[in-house]
Amino acid sequence: MKFQIPIGPQHPALKEPISLRMTVEGEVIKGVDIRLGYNHRGMEKLAEEKSWIQNIYLTERICGICSHSHSTCYVQGVEKLMEIEPPRRGLYLRYLVSELERIHSHLLWLGVAGHEAGFDSFFMYTWRDREVVMDLLEMISGNRVHYAINTLGGVRRDIDEAQRQKILDGVAVLRARSEYYFKIGANEPTFVGRLAGVGPLTKQEAIDNCAVGPVARASGIARDVRKDDPHAFYDEAPFDVCTADSCDVLGRTVVRIKELFECYRIIEFILKNLPAGPVAVRAPRRAKPNEVVSRYEAPRGENIHYIVSNGTEKPERLKVRAPTLANYPATVVMLRQGFIADIPLIFAAIDPCICCAERTVELVNARSGEEKTVRFSELRRLADERFKRQTVKRNVEWPL
Amino acid sequence: MTDAEKIEKIKRLLGDKILEASNPAVRRVFLTVAVKDLVAVVETLKKELGLWFICTVSGLDKGDAYEIIYHFGDTPGNVNVRTRIPKSDPHLPSLCAIIPGNILYERELQDMFGIVVDGLPDPRPLLMPDDWPAGQYPLRKDWKFDRPQEIIPGGKS
Repeated sequence: MKFQIPIGPQHPALKEPISLRMTVEGEVIKGVDIRLGYNHRGMEKLAEEKSWIQNIYLTERICGICSHSHSTCYVQGVEKLMEIEPPRRGLYLRYLVSELERIHSHLLWLGVAGHEAGFDSFFMYTWRDREVVMDLLEMISGNRVHYAINTLGGVRRDIDEAQRQKILDGVAVLRARSEYYFKIGANEPTFVGRLAGVGPLTKQEAIDNCAVGPVARASGIARDVRKDDPHAFYDEAPFDVCTADSCDVLGRTVVRIKELFECYRIIEFILKNLPAGPVAVRAPRRAKPNEVVSRYEAPRGENIHYIVSNGTEKPERLKVRAPTLANYPATVVMLRQGFIADIPLIFAAIDPCICCAERTVELVNARSGEEKTVRFSELRRLADERFKRQTVKRNVEWPL
Repeated sequence: MTDAEKIEKIKRLLGDKILEASNPAVRRVFLTVAVKDLVAVVETLKKELGLWFICTVSGLDKGDAYEIIYHFGDTPGNVNVRTRIPKSDPHLPSLCAIIPGNILYERELQDMFGIVVDGLPDPRPLLMPDDWPAGQYPLRKDWKFDRPQEIIPGGKS
């Protein structure tokens, strides 16, 4: 007997409302059909109507969690088009916010992963610690989410010595907490057992489907734009590309925890070598006709903007590809042959935007056509129950 | 591999299929190919240069033609393959047989520009709603959005 489970479209699990129609046999997912466009806002068309400066704030609103990624990717491209070079201090501060944003995004994701795996104290720990980095971001930029710190030619705010010390203190706290998460992982076999083997994506599948970010790195592909295409000072900054080769949700968790430590290293490097001087230069209003490909490593993977200028105050074309879109084909592969009970976890493993409140899943009986609406919390409860009955995979070990 | 070496290797492998190769910035290589050679070029690039990762596909409205740019991620840098198709006959071969992950970008091109991608495994609309009128392609330069007049049921009091 085959069932179809439509998830969405009003389902904010994957950044924007999306419809996933799953064909299941028993509890096994046999096919997934993705439908997009429920939150299509026409931003690429809108960008052609707005000036270079206005577009900074437009691109910032593409995403709520990695807002700084999009505006940075846009700004670093437009600076090339306008042939201006931001001052070193401006660049360091810009990417300081980038790395703090990466920490906040990864901590948020870790909490969600713990929550979906039924490990709610982990969720509460990480989200409490996330407040530390949110406070730092608020101190630097004045905002918790849309930092609005980028401008053409640098950043809009400077930091002073006391703030620099405060950031270093905050990072020391976070580093100690992240080490604690390592230990939790190692000492909590139920958590490891729940994550291991879920949502498999082999290296070849990741290559075929052009996966990006932690999803690709968890499948053993060492790709990171900061290494492959180093923008600003990333060719000098000390950090490693974190990979795992378990190709499952456990691997994606491990990659993100490892990346947290790399973020702390980069932040300490930035603050130790923070150059003196101005934070921004004046940008012209127009850009000569040209084109530029701007790439940036967002918390979720590679972000790419292709910008064409035509000599006026407005761009001729702004093409944006957010990392989540690149991961959709891989998602289909991960969900296939998985269980209904794993849907929340596999979702969470792709995208951290699952933090929204209550979602509904509709179960459709394919034979009778009868529909039954199940709240997402109910689905998670069913998932937890199923895994309480299952014997813990005792041979699985925390890989760190 | 430096950019100059990369361009030289591509030229050696593909010869006159590359109409133009340029290197406008560090780690950015732009190639221009004819649309009939596109599949062969991408196949060679994947096999010989290891360009398996397609970042995205951009479309550009150039008046009487569309310019399609395939952005490939490389280690290090990136390679962009540019091709042009006439507006009167906008047909493009699908690359999904070589790079399956390209499907969403090709479906997006169909929605946004009205380009017909031949051989696409799943040609349904990707982003546009089900009741989107036929022949409306938003990213064409001559397309303008006219907001339909809002009608409040029962009228405004």
